[in-house]
Amino acid sequence: MGQEEDLEVYRSQRLESMSERPNYSARGLVDPIQVYVNERRVGELKGAETEATLSVHGVDHIETVQLRTEDGQLLGGLVAPESGFRTNRVQLLADTVELCVQNTMQGGSLSAVFIPAPSFWSRTRTILVDFADRWMVRRPEAAVAYGMRTVAFTQALLAVAVVGLVADRVMIWITPEHAVAPTVQAEALRTASIAEIEQLAKQLGELRSMQTKVGEALQSQEKGMTLLHQTMARLSSTQESVASSVVMVKEEMEKRQEGPEHEADRPTQIPPGRGVVDQEQFEVAIHGLAADNDRLSKQIAGLEEHNRTLTAKLQMALTHVAKAVEQNSERVVAREAEMARKPQLLPVADSRQSTQAQPFLFWVTFSEGTSQESIDQWVNGMKGHKGVQNEGWQEVQILPPPVPPDLFLEQIRGEKIIKEARLNH
Amino acid sequence: MADRTATVSRLEEVVATSDEFDRVVAQALPVLLDRAAGYTKRFLRETGQWNDDIEHEKFALRWGSEYLERFLVCGRTEVPCRPLFLFDSLVAKQHSKPEPFCYHPDLLKPLGRFLDGLVARAVVSRDALIALYHHSYGWGAGDVITVTGLNGLESQRIYKNFRRWRESGWQRTMDEMGLTKTELTELEDQRQRHRQRFNSEAERLIRVAQGHYRKSEPDHYPCLSRSQWGEMFSQGYGCDYRIWHLALCVDCMQAAWGLGSGGSSAGEKPRLELQVRP
Repeated sequence: MGQEEDLEVYRSQRLESMSERPNYSARGLVDPIQVYVNERRVGELKGAETEATLSVHGVDHIETVQLRTEDGQLLGGLVAPESGFRTNRVQLLADTVELCVQNTMQGGSLSAVFIPAPSFWSRTRTILVDFADRWMVRRPEAAVAYGMRTVAFTQALLAVAVVGLVADRVMIWITPEHAVAPTVQAEALRTASIAEIEQLAKQLGELRSMQTKVGEALQSQEKGMTLLHQTMARLSSTQESVASSVVMVKEEMEKRQEGPEHEADRPTQIPPGRGVVDQEQFEVAIHGLAADNDRLSKQIAGLEEHNRTLTAKLQMALTHVAKAVEQNSERVVAREAEMARKPQLLPVADSRQSTQAQPFLFWVTFSEGTSQESIDQWVNGMKGHKGVQNEGWQEVQILPPPVPPDLFLEQIRGEKIIKEARLNH
Repeated sequence: MADRTATVSRLEEVVATSDEFDRVVAQALPVLLDRAAGYTKRFLRETGQWNDDIEHEKFALRWGSEYLERFLVCGRTEVPCRPLFLFDSLVAKQHSKPEPFCYHPDLLKPLGRFLDGLVARAVVSRDALIALYHHSYGWGAGDVITVTGLNGLESQRIYKNFRRWRESGWQRTMDEMGLTKTELTELEDQRQRHRQRFNSEAERLIRVAQGHYRKSEPDHYPCLSRSQWGEMFSQGYGCDYRIWHLALCVDCMQAAWGLGSGGSSAGEKPRLELQVRP
């Protein structure tokens, strides 16, 4: 083997060993982890299934920390900062080593903590505790819990009573008297002494009291069940009311969304007897609108003429620029084609501008006690002018607002002197 | 060549997470290894320690891979970073130390490389450290336990260290040092044919290596006199001290000879009897 080849083999071997993932299982479960600070061994973490800690303090600054197996395999580590803290968690299969390094003016310190993987029983206990916690969180509401407690208490009382009765019966069966037939029992009663009769009477009394207790327990259980039913009924009615509220809110929202359309339909829905229409006011309003329309038509025509002039100038300018910049004739042609397309787009913009130039009309009512001066001042502030009045509603004309109409009306409603604002009367 | 340039460019970019660091660096291992070897070569040239031969090339590659291994583990904690610049700074930091590596012309020959590899590995591997007793004096696990005066619990670990060394540690160390089967066979032959000369040469070289690598021990593990060793052995403390220092110091081993067995088996002081195989 030549030297070059030998060297190449060695290089490949080195690269291969670094490409392989570290085999942590080689550490086994009980072998300590060697801890190195500044490439000097300072101790080991003897952690098998228990937590282990190693603390190192020195006058020298800590530069590097390394964790190695007993066979020298580098498991992990960190490069410490010149000053301050740095932490790192080195994961070794299921186990973990937490490193914390601090460098100060006085020196460096290292804390290494080996945290073993939780055992099977530990994991089982954790799962059970989690389950119990979740169950506790899902406990019923207070009212239901009260009912449940009542029922549980009643059942416990009933169980005690039943056990008492059973015990009493068993005692009676065990006694020799119980074996005697009923026909014989009467004879026996006749022949029995007064003391025995008294004892029997006492037992009967006890039995009666026990029966009374059982009856009371049953009654209290019934009461508990009634209470539970009532609570459930209340809960279900609350649920229904919440559901109906949700439906109402949805309907209200839908109504609001459809608001403008309904408002437009409203004049047709107003019954004729609702108010007297002032004919003169309508006529004045119609005249005012017609005059405004004429004025706006003239303005639109002027703007369109101006736009045409500007478009022609722009086209000429773009053609000049394209010719000056583009050396390639094909690109010039393409640009000219693009120029030719642009006039098709411009009218769209023009029409948008023309619709925006139309005045914006809306109706407002003012708060009670608002003076005419305040109203005029407000209208002037809006750079608009007042239109007709109808049933306490004032028509106002302004330049188109920069925000959507609904939002604009919301803004208007927020003003102090405005009581209500609408798009249509 | 274009791939190499692209890889270097990628290494110059910022990596934000540890996973990204692993991914980028894993794709650039050959580039980084050659870079580190190049830096080591330049350092040796500048310090007048370079020769154009395969031994020096292997030496540069060995230390390059050593730096790269540390970079792979520690660099991922430095994110966000530019991996190439971080790697350069790590190598520069190593080369700015007084004696960054153990260099001696005789340690580049097969016997020197063998000893250098054993002692260098002993610094980072307890398996290699314990095995050093075997390779230096021919002792088994029981002998090591007796000589160092260990208790029962520590004894179990010694057996385990020996087993792991035989199974994988020795071969890995030989691979790291670039010792071929032919070279190892030649060493074995020399040991058998010229035993005394071989061992005296080995003792001379192992002292050089031990002197350098003992600096890797904790500061509180200096050489001791026989009486001090005696006190430590008799009172039963300094278990780690005994294991680590005696393996890495021929003189202290001779000074402390017999103290582990209470002086009962103290015969002739141990001499170096180099073992090539585990």
